[in-house]
Amino acid sequence: MSTSTDSPKITIKDLNTENPRWCAGCGDFSIIMGLKRFMVNEQLAPHDTVNVSGIGCSGRAPFYVNSYGIHSIHGRAIPVALGLALTRPELDVFIHSGDGDAISIGGNHLIHGINKNFNCVFILYDNELYALTKSQTSPTTRKGHKTNTQPSGTYLEPIKAIRLVLGIGASFVANTADWMPDHLTNTLSAAFAHKGFSFVHVSQRCPHFDPYNFEHKSTDWFTFLKHEKGIAPDRRLADKTEVREHDPFDLNAAFNLSNEDRTYFGLIYHNPDKPSYVDIVRSQLPESPAADTSELFKPYAI
Amino acid sequence: MSKESYHVNRFELLMDAGFGAQKAGDILISAFAHTGRYVFIEPMIPAEISPPARSRPALSGAIIRVADFDLENIGNTTDLMVAQHEIVLDRRLDDEEYSPSCRVLLDMGDQKNNQDSYEMVMKRANKAGLRVYPFEITDEAQTILKFLAGKGKNMYYLGMLSAIYCVPEDVMIAEIKSTFGKKLKEEILNKNIEIFHQGHEYATQNIDFSFEVVSESNGEGEKVLIDGNTALSLGIVDAGFKLISGYPITPASSIMHTLAKIFPKYGGMVHQAEDEISAVGTAVGAYFGGTPSLTATSGPGLSLKQEFIGYASAAEIPLVLADIQRSGPSTGMPTKTEQSDLLSSIYGAHGDNTQVVIGVGTMLDCFYAPQLARYFAEKLRLPVFIMSDFQMANSYKVIPKPKTFNLKNVEDISDEVLNHFDLDRLPLDIEMVRDDQSNPGVPGHMRRVTGLNTDNEGKVNYFAKTNQRSHAVRNEKVHHVRRSMREPQMFGDCREGDVLVLGWGSTHGAISEAVVSCQKQGLKVGGLCFRIIYPLPLMLADVFKRFKKVVTVEGAYGDKYKRTPLAMFVRSKTLVDVYPMISRATGRPITPKTIENQVKELLKNL
Repeated sequence: MSTSTDSPKITIKDLNTENPRWCAGCGDFSIIMGLKRFMVNEQLAPHDTVNVSGIGCSGRAPFYVNSYGIHSIHGRAIPVALGLALTRPELDVFIHSGDGDAISIGGNHLIHGINKNFNCVFILYDNELYALTKSQTSPTTRKGHKTNTQPSGTYLEPIKAIRLVLGIGASFVANTADWMPDHLTNTLSAAFAHKGFSFVHVSQRCPHFDPYNFEHKSTDWFTFLKHEKGIAPDRRLADKTEVREHDPFDLNAAFNLSNEDRTYFGLIYHNPDKPSYVDIVRSQLPESPAADTSELFKPYAI
Repeated sequence: MSKESYHVNRFELLMDAGFGAQKAGDILISAFAHTGRYVFIEPMIPAEISPPARSRPALSGAIIRVADFDLENIGNTTDLMVAQHEIVLDRRLDDEEYSPSCRVLLDMGDQKNNQDSYEMVMKRANKAGLRVYPFEITDEAQTILKFLAGKGKNMYYLGMLSAIYCVPEDVMIAEIKSTFGKKLKEEILNKNIEIFHQGHEYATQNIDFSFEVVSESNGEGEKVLIDGNTALSLGIVDAGFKLISGYPITPASSIMHTLAKIFPKYGGMVHQAEDEISAVGTAVGAYFGGTPSLTATSGPGLSLKQEFIGYASAAEIPLVLADIQRSGPSTGMPTKTEQSDLLSSIYGAHGDNTQVVIGVGTMLDCFYAPQLARYFAEKLRLPVFIMSDFQMANSYKVIPKPKTFNLKNVEDISDEVLNHFDLDRLPLDIEMVRDDQSNPGVPGHMRRVTGLNTDNEGKVNYFAKTNQRSHAVRNEKVHHVRRSMREPQMFGDCREGDVLVLGWGSTHGAISEAVVSCQKQGLKVGGLCFRIIYPLPLMLADVFKRFKKVVTVEGAYGDKYKRTPLAMFVRSKTLVDVYPMISRATGRPITPKTIENQVKELLKNL
């Protein structure tokens, strides 16, 4: 974590770049705004921050935040981010990935990124379909929803992203939505504070291809989780729906929530003690300056 | 024992996998090297870990060429084989790599239960002109073998070989001790030495011939015994890389194995990724952060990495890949050699391709290539390939200890290394698609990269002129390399004449030996191997025009309708009718003799 203390305060304006090329009403605008608010709150130095993404609508996110950024290839943001985490551990790394990017083409990397538990905030932009390629079924598309590749309605039940990552052994799992700005920003703060692979699932609206998904004006279908070590329910919506006490350190309780069809927003699971692969690999590096290479051939001398 | 003297001799030890044939070979060549001989070794490694004993796929062994002059290749034919049983011998006879006077020492231990099979194989060997010398493991040695639970036959054969090759017993015992000293309990070590002694005694008393290759010295100064992948691994350290990111694949894995043991001491990290794509992605991410990083792989992995290779050139992130080629397509023959990935490295990624490809053909090439690759990658911010192959990776020999450089900044790359690759220094400033190439951590610069087309400010841009410019800038980077390339070094002293033999990578040693041999016979035959294979030097067509015929020697498939990759590629770049003289994808190295004979055949009809 690095914050700039002697330079002028970072403002939202400092973090803006060009106008994003997303559709009007796209949830990605709110996610990026939430990230910028969080960066301002934490006063993160943009030059020590790297946003890494794959391909898809979410893939463009790094270009809309004035920090360092890598818009990489489809599904592969995690390996790229790991390269930075291994070699430049002082940088703050954020990964932006869509549901197709993270759970379909990049599924293998999600498994191993979570298992390696390297320090980053992973934001899953879950709009429950492929959007940039014009409405195809994704691994999280709800059964029956009509897409261009399954026009009679999506065939399969969706993969439950939160159950998936709990099963892999994620050390930090939170769920939020693009239309809850406070909750989103607080979730990013909690994720950032966790040292490890922080998985943040964001329900993201796609009004262009699926305007009726996520009844964001209704609150009947979700519950906020609360705990003194958790994430506070959204200020605007807390009194409009159920709020349930949930211990984020209780893995069984987390699994039980993830098995339900009901949506729970908040901190679902947190294990601050899971070791990080990067720490283990880096612990093998010498503390003193590295050896020079003059003795390199010694073991092969005859 | 009647003693025969040779300048060069080749023998092989053929055993079932898991019985230590290569270990025995290592001990013997170490003894040869310590006693002034030159050696070149090719291990024979099965693709499986433990194929069933006494089966053809179980063949595991070492081919050893020993000489009183420096060797760069495994040579032509074998003069002596030691076979554990008839099956491994039968399998090896298939390759037809024996000399007309080849002798075979065949262990008859398994004969009792395999009478017919032994008889058949011995007949086959005799018919091929080989002289078979059946032998037994003595009862005394059998008792020790039982004590060692069947292991230790390799030491018996080692004893026989050292007697036949006139290596003093005390020299051998010192080598055995230095090989096993720390790993084996004293009792077990002594049993191994005892078996070795038994084998030595047996050969001294029962084998009526011996070979002597006399050499006073194998070069001045400090020497090292090293294989291609180890030389490459040490080169990676010396070139200042700090991360290798790979996924297990034969025959590239041994680079990660070597580095896993030594890299941390030099500030380097070994990362084993979850797959080939991830491995290259992590190298890309690390180099974006300014850390010299590379990935190593083989054919199937190269196919998987192609999207990231194209990405690195578009995003202008330096990237270095080592491809240790093996026989393909697909899984092919993982432990056999081939040079068929050439076009995948040059043209493999989709869209316009801009990269540099280095080919390694000697141990020194392997050691220097990582420095040159890093120099190109950081100067040009393009992908750079180091192309090796199974043969290069696993063959080993004694070389003078190379000078180390401890490279930090690529601008400090030594002239010695550039000269080795016939290269002038690249210009100091090279135009990039994107003006600002700052690494994370630099305030106010905020480099954001993408595989999309961008303008010079790094902004995503789909306009006609900008895209055309991006292509031109990327290609101009490669043109800088073209302009820096000098005329490639040629073998021997023939600069113009009848036939010019071209190659790249591991055929280097065989081509140079064949070409120099032709020159000694007064033939006007020239030869060169490309150390940088993409791009090619600009004056190449002029070099070709000095010869009546230009031909290639490649470990890749070709026939009358299909030109081999190098022949096709070089022809397309020079418009000279380069003829694929040897195009063999047998998995076995091409021999100097084959090349020499083919050249002579060509000369007849010129």
